Amino acid sequence: MEDVLGLIGSVLASAIRYATPLVLAALGGLFSERSGVVNIGLEGLMLISAFTGVVGAYFSGNVIVGVLFALAGGLVFSLIHAIMCVTFEADQIISGVAINLLALGGTGFLMVLIFGSGGTSPRIGGFSEVPIPLLSQIPIIGPAFFNQSPLVYLMFLLIPLTFFVVYRTPFGLRLRATGEAPEAVDTAGVSVTRMRYYGVALSGLLAALGGAYFSMDQLSAFTERMTAGAGFIALAALISGRWNPIGAAVAALVFGFAQAVTFRIAQDAIPLEFLQMFPYILTIVALAAFGGRAIAPAAVGKPYRKE
Amino acid sequence: MDGGRRGKPVGGVLRRLLNQIGGALVFPLLAIGISFLIGAVIIIATGNNPVAAYVALITGAFGSPSAIGRTLVNATPLVFTGLGVAVAFRAGLFNIGGEGQVFIGAITAAGLGVALGPLGLLATLVCLLGCILTGFLWGAIPGFLKAFFGAHEVVTTIMLNFIAINLATYLALNTLRGEGLVPGTDTVAAAVRLPLIGLGLGRANYGILLGILAAVVAYVLLWRTGRGFQIRAVGLSPGAANYAGMGIKANTVLALAIGGAFCALGGFVQVIGVEGKMSIPFVANLGFNGIGVALLGRTHPVGVVFGALLFGGLQAGAQQMQFATDVPLSLSDVLLAVILLFVTATKIVEFVVGKRARTLAAGTRLDEGLGR
Amino acid sequence: MSETRPGGGAAGASSPVVLEMRDVTKTFGPVTANDHVSLVLHRGEILGLLGENGAGKSTLMKILYGLYRPDWGTILVDGEEVEIRDPKDAVARGIGMVHQHFTLIPPLTVAENIVLGAEPRRGVSLDLNEAIRATERLSERYGLRVDPRARVADLSVGVQQRVEILKTLYREARILVLDEPTAVLTPQETEDLFEILKELVADGLSIILITHKLGELLGVSDRITIIRDGHVVETVNAAETDERALARLMVGRDVLLRVEKVQAKVGQPRLGCEDLVVRSGTGAEAVRGVSLEVRAGEVLGVAGVDGNGQVELAEALAGTRPVGSGSVYLDGEDVTALGADARQERGLAYVPEDRQSKGLVQDFALYENNALKTYDEPPFSRLGWLFPRVMRRRASENLDAYDVRPRDPDARAGSLSGGNQQKAILARELSGDPGVIVAAQPTRGVDVGAIEFIHRQLLEQRERGKAILLISLELEEIRSLSDRIVVMYDGCMVGEMSADEATDETLGLLMAGRGVEV
Repeated sequence: MEDVLGLIGSVLASAIRYATPLVLAALGGLFSERSGVVNIGLEGLMLISAFTGVVGAYFSGNVIVGVLFALAGGLVFSLIHAIMCVTFEADQIISGVAINLLALGGTGFLMVLIFGSGGTSPRIGGFSEVPIPLLSQIPIIGPAFFNQSPLVYLMFLLIPLTFFVVYRTPFGLRLRATGEAPEAVDTAGVSVTRMRYYGVALSGLLAALGGAYFSMDQLSAFTERMTAGAGFIALAALISGRWNPIGAAVAALVFGFAQAVTFRIAQDAIPLEFLQMFPYILTIVALAAFGGRAIAPAAVGKPYRKE
Repeated sequence: MDGGRRGKPVGGVLRRLLNQIGGALVFPLLAIGISFLIGAVIIIATGNNPVAAYVALITGAFGSPSAIGRTLVNATPLVFTGLGVAVAFRAGLFNIGGEGQVFIGAITAAGLGVALGPLGLLATLVCLLGCILTGFLWGAIPGFLKAFFGAHEVVTTIMLNFIAINLATYLALNTLRGEGLVPGTDTVAAAVRLPLIGLGLGRANYGILLGILAAVVAYVLLWRTGRGFQIRAVGLSPGAANYAGMGIKANTVLALAIGGAFCALGGFVQVIGVEGKMSIPFVANLGFNGIGVALLGRTHPVGVVFGALLFGGLQAGAQQMQFATDVPLSLSDVLLAVILLFVTATKIVEFVVGKRARTLAAGTRLDEGLGR
Repeated sequence: MSETRPGGGAAGASSPVVLEMRDVTKTFGPVTANDHVSLVLHRGEILGLLGENGAGKSTLMKILYGLYRPDWGTILVDGEEVEIRDPKDAVARGIGMVHQHFTLIPPLTVAENIVLGAEPRRGVSLDLNEAIRATERLSERYGLRVDPRARVADLSVGVQQRVEILKTLYREARILVLDEPTAVLTPQETEDLFEILKELVADGLSIILITHKLGELLGVSDRITIIRDGHVVETVNAAETDERALARLMVGRDVLLRVEKVQAKVGQPRLGCEDLVVRSGTGAEAVRGVSLEVRAGEVLGVAGVDGNGQVELAEALAGTRPVGSGSVYLDGEDVTALGADARQERGLAYVPEDRQSKGLVQDFALYENNALKTYDEPPFSRLGWLFPRVMRRRASENLDAYDVRPRDPDARAGSLSGGNQQKAILARELSGDPGVIVAAQPTRGVDVGAIEFIHRQLLEQRERGKAILLISLELEEIRSLSDRIVVMYDGCMVGEMSADEATDETLGLLMAGRGVEV
């Protein structure tokens, strides 16, 4: 009995860790899409941030500086997406694909340039767990929720914070309005352009935290393609969660849970490739079940043109 | 009462064609130009001379028969993935699943090719048809999910990429594993392989002719058949297509399935044409670069062929560039990404040339944003 | 509706000028939308701005509201010259605008919509309670009844319009511009609106009312400025003019307000439906048990305010929308299970109400649009293979016959004007010699010349013995073309009468759901 409870506890802890970058990126995606800009470049944003974070941590020896570098990388790349989509009215999906490719090519390029060779970067000092006194002693859920790294705690805080910002502040009201009916927002004297830039920039910052998790927490180095589709799964979580912070977080947690469970339980029985397929299959099933884009912000995906 | 035009059929067709091509070239050329400009800045930042670098790039792409050969080798699978993306775009759908569809085609070709070795060219034909079939079915999955469940094809095709890559990798390393130092399938018999062109073009094979044939098929499909008419109508105006009695669901599934079939053929030429086997790791980014090729070519089969040649050349030239200067190879990936970034940003033309140029160059629905 | 309003109250040429626009000029490329337009608005008056579609009224008001910048001209508010660069400037100057197409955010509540952009705050968060209170205060003061907590998407059009007005009042507008406010209202809702406007004016506001509906203007405005082809023709006192004179000023010639029509020679029923129930996209029942029939040689007009199920009815009859229950008949045959192309083969032509996104593929050439329904039949195709040259030839013939300009079969459909697009659709639908024609809003947003042409075409078809179902939001059009008229309200057919029996009053009451014994 103890073994089973222990197993549940450790799977839960594992699930939360898997889910962390997904939740962060999904929340980022939420800000972008709520403002009306599709952002399938979350994957690329996470990748480039993972890289710049390692660069920052390596050369400064300080992991917090690394996070700042990660945020900067995510912000710059997301602004590229914003400029292309909002100001130059490029197709938002194509721009997102381009951001992903830019991150792939860019990280490959910079790896050679900065560290001399491709593959994996040199190690850095990453984050380690910070147990919260007393709370981390609670059986089963203690270690899972209260003995995690700072980025995980940050993820927990960002969920209610995002909810508050989106539904309880004027900024959030304007953001949601921009994604539903930009013409209405325009005539109310609020700048659609500015709201969309904010939305996309926030997606860059949040996705950056997700990327930082990969290279500074899960692993303490950067490996090419290390995000392995997390950005897309996060997008699927956002869609399954109906563009709602709580929904998206729950969906991301479910995906994380699925990943944790399959790896824990089936590791020897099933070939690696099939295990790796599982999260993606689950995502497709979730999209088929919940996916109708009928509930997306009404104006998402289209450039706004004043006539 | 302008009836004069009808009296000059040849002149009319030619003028129409030139008008269309001229207008269509503005955006791709602009995107390429901007990309090279940004590339030059990056090259300078690495402490190299951009002129030398670009000269090396171009020489490495088109400067000698062996360079042209390399370009053709790179370009051939891109023609197929470009067509696979372009046909789906014409239906208003994003086929981001090229990566996975290529892998599906590759493993099908490797499997059938090895198994049917003794049949020679007949085996080649069976491989070809087999890839078309498996690609068609794999592409139909996201089509079906979109048509009947409303699941947006962007995310589903991307998820299927990962699934296909894992599946194909597993098969190549386990069920169909071959002997040899390089991990992957067995090598397909020479009799099954696509013949080399020779003429000093290195590994360039007749796959490129197959690619051009595929482009012709795509053109005929889209502009000379009733099905193509439907696909284009659905892509440009689903409301009008529905009003006209065209089935949106059927066309959604078909367009993505056909796209899958074309992309799978990209895997076919890579295995049966270039490599002779499916090795792991397999060629990457064919599907994503297919998107760039399709858009650069304004989703028109002719444009796709030229776009593929450009992309193929860039990749071939990048090796020479790394050799001559020491700009990292990945710059070509960065350049290709920048091209993709700018090729739909039609508003830039306004900044550069003015609003009229933009309306003149309007043609496909791309200018209005493809998001659906 | 046609009683003239005494120019009383605080209005009149004697009260101070609160807004003046002088020599305003705006061009869009080769098109001059406003050509040295000048107008004057006095405090407490209702100024009507009258003109046809495309005359330049909307452009002028968009300039006033800061959505466009004029090429030339000045604007004076309360005698002071101002520069209005964007809506923010306009609002700061006390100018409020209620647009023709509402600028509301459907999933948000009334209160949220009203305060957007000028939200009351409590610290860093949004003070929703204050927003609700503010809405209630305004609602009380001006008699505009709304529920602040209701979702805009759930409200009727008339109530949505009140929210739009409240938006301007929340921002303390003193000059209110309403752009075609009655396009979506029943005659009764229109009267309610005009009562509200009179209240506002009594409170000291000044109003500009943009419309192309002559009769309404006479009922509510003090003065009327007529715009034609981008310039001001004249400004008259409402009390000193009549419909005929206004029409002449608006169009520049004597307009045939009614088309000549011969006596109907009515034959067998050709199109019909029985107990038809049709669901809209949201799953709600849009058509609730409608039965009607259209006979050969007659025009059956379906009147009603937008959104009462007419569109869904037309689509169900044409076959582009599945039927919930009930049946559709074509020449005696039950075609309920048949799709649009099967019905089209049996001689049903359908001109949809939305030429932009339904009637035409905007990015297709005219010859492709001309073959939109027949591309898979000979001579346009055989065994799946298309023959574009044949399509072009046939299209050229059609374009000539129906006066579509430019006559270029390769022209992109979207490059044509609204009227020409509509004629192109008509050319396609009528060239197959259909027996039954369903026409939904065939002249919406179309210039007067094209309207006359289209009306003549429909009447010609009627004389040739075709059965025509005409759906329109314009009572004028219904009255002038129909032999029999039915009214749709809330998905049901609430009245049926011959055209001779119908009066604006009867129809208006039926359209508003205040049933009259049929």
